Amino acid sequence: MSAETAERAWDELTLSPAEYRRAGARYRQQRNLRAYLFVVPYFVPFLAFLVVPLFWSVWLSFNQGGLLDSAKFVGLQNWRVIGADTELTTSIKNTAIYAVEAIFLVFTLALLLALLLNRYRKGSNFFKLALYVPLLAPAVLVGLIWQFVTNYDFGLINVVLVHLGLGRVNIFGNGTTALLAIVGAEVWRGLGFWTLYFLASLQSIPEELLDAARVDGARGFQRFRRVTVPLLKPMLLFAIVIAIIANFQVFDTVYVLTQGGPYESTSTLVWFIWKRLFQFQQTGQGYAAAVLLLAIILGLTAVSFWLLGSRRRRRPREA
Amino acid sequence: MAEILIKHLVKTFGKVEAVKDVSLQVADSEFLVLLGPSGCGKSTILRVVAGLEDADSGEIVVGGRLVNFIDPVKRNVAMVFQNYALYPHMTVHKNIAFPLEMAKKTKAEIDSAVRRAAGILGLDELLHRLPEQLSGGQRQRVALARAIVREPQAFLMDEPLSNLDAQLRIQTRLELIQLHARLGITTMYVTHDQVEAMTMGHRIAVMRDGVLQQIGTPQDVYRRPANVFVATFLGAPPMNLIDGALEAVAGGGWRFHGRDVDVALSSGVLSPPELQHEIEAHADVKLGLRPEHIRIAAPGEDGGIPGRVQFLEPVGSDLYLTVEAGGGTVQVRTDPDSPLQTGENVSLLFDAARVHVFGADGHNLRRDAPRVEAPAELVEAAS
Amino acid sequence: MAAPVVITEASEPHADYSRAARRSRVLWLGKGVAAYAVLTVFAAITLVPFLYLLSPSFRQSYELLTFPPQWIPHSLYTGNFHHVLHQTSYPRWALNTLIFAGAITAITLVLDTLAGYAFARLRFPGRTALFGLVIATLMIPTAAVVAPLYIMISRLPGWTHSGVNTYPGMILPMVCSPLGVFMMRQFMSTLPEALVEAARLDGAGEWQIFRKIVLPLMKPPIVVLGIFTFMFQWVNFLWPLVITTTDNMKTLTVGIASLQGQFVTDWGVISAAAVMTIFPVIAVFLIFQRWFVQASMAGALKQ
Repeated sequence: MSAETAERAWDELTLSPAEYRRAGARYRQQRNLRAYLFVVPYFVPFLAFLVVPLFWSVWLSFNQGGLLDSAKFVGLQNWRVIGADTELTTSIKNTAIYAVEAIFLVFTLALLLALLLNRYRKGSNFFKLALYVPLLAPAVLVGLIWQFVTNYDFGLINVVLVHLGLGRVNIFGNGTTALLAIVGAEVWRGLGFWTLYFLASLQSIPEELLDAARVDGARGFQRFRRVTVPLLKPMLLFAIVIAIIANFQVFDTVYVLTQGGPYESTSTLVWFIWKRLFQFQQTGQGYAAAVLLLAIILGLTAVSFWLLGSRRRRRPREA
Repeated sequence: MAEILIKHLVKTFGKVEAVKDVSLQVADSEFLVLLGPSGCGKSTILRVVAGLEDADSGEIVVGGRLVNFIDPVKRNVAMVFQNYALYPHMTVHKNIAFPLEMAKKTKAEIDSAVRRAAGILGLDELLHRLPEQLSGGQRQRVALARAIVREPQAFLMDEPLSNLDAQLRIQTRLELIQLHARLGITTMYVTHDQVEAMTMGHRIAVMRDGVLQQIGTPQDVYRRPANVFVATFLGAPPMNLIDGALEAVAGGGWRFHGRDVDVALSSGVLSPPELQHEIEAHADVKLGLRPEHIRIAAPGEDGGIPGRVQFLEPVGSDLYLTVEAGGGTVQVRTDPDSPLQTGENVSLLFDAARVHVFGADGHNLRRDAPRVEAPAELVEAAS
Repeated sequence: MAAPVVITEASEPHADYSRAARRSRVLWLGKGVAAYAVLTVFAAITLVPFLYLLSPSFRQSYELLTFPPQWIPHSLYTGNFHHVLHQTSYPRWALNTLIFAGAITAITLVLDTLAGYAFARLRFPGRTALFGLVIATLMIPTAAVVAPLYIMISRLPGWTHSGVNTYPGMILPMVCSPLGVFMMRQFMSTLPEALVEAARLDGAGEWQIFRKIVLPLMKPPIVVLGIFTFMFQWVNFLWPLVITTTDNMKTLTVGIASLQGQFVTDWGVISAAAVMTIFPVIAVFLIFQRWFVQASMAGALKQ
């Protein structure tokens, strides 16, 4: 055994607890500093151009002016004004109607196409590319292209109608059809993305499950209903929330196609905000509407995270 | 002097205490094996020495320097990982050269060092390949080359052989032993394979649940295990344990009573004060016998433990019998040419000097077993 | 025994069997044809409007309003393209857009890879909280912050002149996309921990680990993020609309939209501008298809 001489035992500690703690803290500080150097470059613009403006936006909603001159605090006046403002409620209503129509249409079509592409793989590459192309065009250009489809004089729709002997249609004369025109433009543009998304979702369903169902005697549509749909549901739900968030911000096509007309029937929330802020200079209302948009989006984001969380909780082996 | 000292290391991850007050000393040029089942804390100790984890308390001294608060690289230790951790986008040459590049050595120095390391490990032909083009054994050698090229003070190896197939493992084991003999660098080697531990280590440190059970040479640990865990962990098939109680006998002897077992124990081998304690407590003790220390009594010999053969396991060089005896099963190693059959009744005899007796709290009552200050765990197990 | 009986019995339904097989094959073919028909229809719906653009771009505007509109022009009129190139600021708009999208992409890649690595592989206090902050702001709409951003840029204290209509003014606020950091962190988390640890023991400082080990192994996700960011800024409309008021600073989206007059619109010119903007991008897309599809998959993988 070790000789217990006047020397210290080999395993005796040399640092007092206090010294140890201090040295440890210094060491960790050095390491943390290096880590922070990695995150600081991102966080500077992040804080400056995202976080601060968020709070500033809320503050602004209690002010008026400020874009060209200095802001003036007005308390809850903005909120009272827009509470009574029918144009804002119309905008929100329009945006909601638009979102429902667009999402319903694009999801149905995208799902159908995705199912077809999933089943018939040959040549699917060509179709995937073709569907993808509209995504490359800015929404503004999509709007302009859509002019060539919907224009009263030379738009494709009217040309066909006239050819068929039916009269021309002024698509932008009527609120419902004008909104449908916007829906059409955005659905046309987004179809590619959503088709690919659903295709990826379908392909993430393990082949074995469908095979097992087939062996168990389920036929095509039954397999779809009993196996595919339940497995797809979480992804579908999540996609709906994401789509709502995206579609709530529709602006570009409105700017180009309808400018909110006729008579505000296609005015969407972002259009309202932009008009109030940068056109009519009724900035107070614009600020308040912006905060309203923020609240709606944050609420939807929270819902999507909740959905994500419950999905993960139900299927722990994923993610 | 590349001695490694681990003083009262404690490391906790959240609620789990991975290492509970472990103290170890690795002498210069020693090859120390940290052996234990998964989750026992052996890898954690290695990582703390390397600097990949921070100790909660306790000091690590490498080569006379306190290294707790020094960056991994400045500790001058090299580590070989279980999955080799080779940089996939670099050739073998660049992989080996990497540490030297980081140390800002000149191109000439790097070249000669890489070639030397590659030479030692037989990698000269493979310098221009990418890791994905190499076999497991070759990748392992690259990992080793990368470790030795820095001429570190110590090697830390984390189960480097577990990803190799059986035959390669045996071959690489020998190569590692040779490498160590040649370079003489202090090495801490973590494994859960007791064969590796026995064949490679100068000393073995057996760990369980974050507590150091025993540290000693392979012979020490095998022949004089400090407690039941060490006794059963080393040796395959494991040591047999027979439950029973002790009794003092007139004339100064002891007897062990189990089911169908009634044997005399030698006080020359066992430790009287402890035995006395166990007897007074009417404690349940275990009799420990290794399969190779039991033999089948020849017809006519008596005094053995009666039993019945349950299974026969011929492994070519030996025959292992599983015998129902003493209230449980006992494994006996015997001559492969033995004519015994399943179901036969046999009588088991053993070498009295090789018997172990384990007290109720698990520690070994033999005189020559090391005294480990009863770690809290063992004492608790008793109550 | 029963065997011979079974064989003779089987030979009778054989005729029915082959009839049924033929029927199911026809059905299968029919389904296939229908499927491809549907797919083709939609592919056509997607592609035709682009082709429809080509015709007006090669004709003089007044021709468009004739009825019935002739789709194939008798002569290819290049005046529209001429007009776009020389009488509008189109070239300038194109340059602005390239600088705008390009600079944002470059800066974003640098910031996002650094931060992503830190979140994935470095341990530091507040890591979870900061990352949570990033995720929470993932879907903040530009419209919600466009007012404060405008005020900020137009009246930065200490600046003698407004940042409106300047490159930095346009570029900097768009540089902090949380999606990029999120993506980078997810991908960098897939890097084996042991690789980074081995590098640490080999003496690499964090910066060297980042440059020599992490980045080279992250090339595909970085390219995908780059394309994704570039495309996103290429089509950005609201922000450039707000922050550029002079014609020579507008981006393509804003510029082309401005070609639409209040009362009179030269459709030939607009379609020419659209053709010039879209077709090169389509060409690039076809060449680098794989990366683009992966980029949109990245959006899907976000969940």
